[in-house]
Amino acid sequence: MRQGASTRLRRDGIVLAAVSILYLAISAFVTNSYYQLILTLVPIWAVFGASWNILSGYGGQLSFGHASFFGIGAYTVTLALVYWNLTPWLGIPLGMLMGAIAAVIIGTPTFRLRGHYFALSMLAYPLAILYLLQYLGFQEMSLPMHRDHPIAYLEFTDQRLYTLVATLLLVAGILACMFVENSRFGLALLAIRQNELAAEAAGINARQWKMRALITSGIIAAAAGGLYACVLLVVTPDSVFGLLVSAQPVVVTLFGGVASVWGPVIGAAILVPLAESLNAQLGNIVPGIQGVVYGAAIIVIILAAPDGLYWTIRDRWLRGAMPALPPPLPAAAVPTRTYSEVTSMPLLQVGNLSRSFGGLRAVSQVSFAIQPREILGIIGPNGAGKTTLFNVLNGVLAADEGSALLAGEQMLGRKVYQVCRMGVGRTFQVVRSFPRLPLLDNVVVGAYGAGLPDRAAVAAAEHALHQVGMLQLATRQAGQLTNKQLRLMELARALAGQPRLLLLDETLAGLGRDECDEVLDVLATLRDEGMTIAIIEHTMHAMMRLADRFVVLDHGAVLATGLPRDVVEDRAVIEAYLGKKFLARQNA
Amino acid sequence: MTNRISIGRRDALGLGLATGAASLAPRRLRAQEKEVKIAMLVPLSGPWARQGILEQMGARMAIDDVNNAGGIKALGGARLRLIEYDTGDSAEKAKDAAQRMIAQEPDLVGGFGCWLSTFTLAATEVTERAQLPWLTLSYSDLITGRGYKYIFQSSPTADSQAEELLPNVVELAEKATGKRPTKVAFIGDNSAAPVSFMKAIREHVLANTKLTSVADEVYTPPLADSTTMVQRIRAGRPDFVVFQSTNVPDDKLLVDKFAEMGLSGAKLPKVGGGGHWCVPELLKVAGAENLEGVLVGLANWPGKAVEDVSKRFVERTKEPWFGHDSVFAYAHVMILKEAVERAGAAERQKVAAGIRQLDMKNEGPALFFPDGTLKYDEKGRRVGAKLCIVQWQSGRPVPVHPESIAASKVSWPKVS
Repeated sequence: MRQGASTRLRRDGIVLAAVSILYLAISAFVTNSYYQLILTLVPIWAVFGASWNILSGYGGQLSFGHASFFGIGAYTVTLALVYWNLTPWLGIPLGMLMGAIAAVIIGTPTFRLRGHYFALSMLAYPLAILYLLQYLGFQEMSLPMHRDHPIAYLEFTDQRLYTLVATLLLVAGILACMFVENSRFGLALLAIRQNELAAEAAGINARQWKMRALITSGIIAAAAGGLYACVLLVVTPDSVFGLLVSAQPVVVTLFGGVASVWGPVIGAAILVPLAESLNAQLGNIVPGIQGVVYGAAIIVIILAAPDGLYWTIRDRWLRGAMPALPPPLPAAAVPTRTYSEVTSMPLLQVGNLSRSFGGLRAVSQVSFAIQPREILGIIGPNGAGKTTLFNVLNGVLAADEGSALLAGEQMLGRKVYQVCRMGVGRTFQVVRSFPRLPLLDNVVVGAYGAGLPDRAAVAAAEHALHQVGMLQLATRQAGQLTNKQLRLMELARALAGQPRLLLLDETLAGLGRDECDEVLDVLATLRDEGMTIAIIEHTMHAMMRLADRFVVLDHGAVLATGLPRDVVEDRAVIEAYLGKKFLARQNA
Repeated sequence: MTNRISIGRRDALGLGLATGAASLAPRRLRAQEKEVKIAMLVPLSGPWARQGILEQMGARMAIDDVNNAGGIKALGGARLRLIEYDTGDSAEKAKDAAQRMIAQEPDLVGGFGCWLSTFTLAATEVTERAQLPWLTLSYSDLITGRGYKYIFQSSPTADSQAEELLPNVVELAEKATGKRPTKVAFIGDNSAAPVSFMKAIREHVLANTKLTSVADEVYTPPLADSTTMVQRIRAGRPDFVVFQSTNVPDDKLLVDKFAEMGLSGAKLPKVGGGGHWCVPELLKVAGAENLEGVLVGLANWPGKAVEDVSKRFVERTKEPWFGHDSVFAYAHVMILKEAVERAGAAERQKVAAGIRQLDMKNEGPALFFPDGTLKYDEKGRRVGAKLCIVQWQSGRPVPVHPESIAASKVSWPKVS
């Protein structure tokens, strides 16, 4: 569990208990079977929204085809009941199993795609299944009525019992979401949503976490679908695999609040009764107008609250009222990762490393070494191949040739998160933070990435914050930090994984002179404490102060290496930076 | 129902106001003494709205006819009131609407709908549990195949239509030309009704009718382009083609494409199925020329016995004819009224029993069916329900089969 999770869990748990008891109490007094049906549908759609929220809200993997899992749940329950006379009490768990299997089958090829391509291919699955079911002749499946033991077949004459079952399912779904949100699972997903590459560089196995998210999501969606079939009594491919079904969880979650356990609940609690009452009130006067009004209402509210109601309300009115998180505990003993002692040889030995993009040799036959406890400055004009070099070193790009040995071990050919786990931390030119999460959570991602268990991860994150001098800000939301603090936060995130080599990409970019000096002090201290650092930087005065040695790249090749003083006087370097004319004028 | 009592607009308004005033009185009292409520749940919005509106017209006219003739005599002239609900465009909306209907109108004695089989299947899951007698024109066999006790299906079921259509068409062709057709082609979509229809055809009807299928084309609605399918059908040189489309736009695209390829009615006889093949919209979009000669198998069509109602319907609604959907709605109101009369009480259980006891021949509501029979079997299927065939002749659907309703001879081109 994450830092402060127990407080959050207790608070959310109390709200959940209160809301569900209140809801059931209200539903107990509703005798009108139609209103009761609405009360049953609200939790079902909320559960479906919650399942979508895990993959697409926390994980940022937008799915327009969640009806696949919902429909699979519904059809499993229906077909099992029709052909095997299997009660939905067992049919729903069976459907959940099918949902998990479907998630693996769907996720395996689809996670190769990212962004819009992922979203669009997810859309294809329910449509394909829809036609498949039509082809197989399952257009209209009616759930047979059991007059003898209705309750054993999840058939109730008293509609309120459906509401009870749906509410219990919702409670289970929300508990699952609360667990996700408050564990490393949720944090890993948030990190992936922010920047999949940065998450991998922090040691997170993005593919594995995404797959876990899809499976969890598929299981929950299938449960919602299974229960929906029991309430609907007639299942058609369109009613459980249709486009509108896929849209429903997206709409309720975007409306209520993405990446919050309460978002889908708020969305469903408002939209489902709204749609139904429009059907009931307007639909009888002007048939069809209810859809127009419903659409307009969604547009207006999304315009007014683009992050969803939950976040808008929280940000606008409850900022002061949010209970402050407890200050971080006194730093526990920090478990340090032990690495084999490297003294005799360089920590990183790069030999003949090359990487081309078509005809362009971005990195060409690059060789250099970094000694332990050294700060190596990698400089060069724009387009010299500095960032590409880092990308090849930490596994984002594959090398065409060459080798890179970290303490004698080959780094090349490994995945990004595996390189991270070898003890290589990396920061990026553009900072990726989770603005709504406290600073500590932003940093603890790096510790989780390194595979530390919960308590050790928090201790490591706190230690890292201490190293960059920001421990006192641990509970502040990242969205309120300054640019310098964000840079240091990213440095802390890399440090939390307890690396032995840091690859820093333009950590000083966009900082003022004074801010720059502060960051330099932090880096110098890190070196004194035994850290080895390779840093890409443009600010020459800063590099002169900081680096022990320079590697100068130009057009992908090493132009010069050596002590800073020698390198900046090297004619080839001056030429690369300032041009031949400048050099000629100097000589004149 | 043929003795018409004329009623002025002002009187009607007065009656309306009285009804409105009565609605302020306590509900239970009103229901038992003054008014008997029946429900109509049909698509009034969405792609099937037109069919629902045609039902609505028939039903409203029937209600007026009942009330103008003195209401329900067994209940001291209680007025019959139609409560209308919209199924919307999907099964789940239809089911929601049914639930709303049951919840908001606890004193309903019966109802009818929902045109599309899918909607009827969903809605009757609710009405059955509420023990509300429900009449339907929907074709699917599933509707009365679930062992439900409160559902009554007035149409011949889809399976029996599949059994009847080809033999009847072949017989009509033989009668008209003296030559028996031997080769047939099919084109239809993959929705529920055509799928079950084609299943029976492929399994045994073809063999029983001694027909050979030369093309069997299936598409997913809505139809976008039928060129390749029509080409394949043309290549098979069938004696006639059977359409299993399920909506007006697809019907139009099909007849247009056949005309475009030089296979108009005079060259290749065509057979469609379902009420949508006989709506005025189809005439408007497809044109009389392309529709000429198309035979349509459907579950009902008004015959000479109810000519008076047909005429009044056309006058009242300005629709060009009184067709499949409207006649069913009219008949269903009349059947419910008859059942309430027999039950002698506005209670749904008794009304259901009243419907089960109905056994009428060539009288009352039975006249609205071509076979003139009104009796439902233990499954709820109407005994003796027979397929009707109408033919587009000079821009009008004219009944040609069975004899009881036939207004004209079938025209069948003499193909070489």
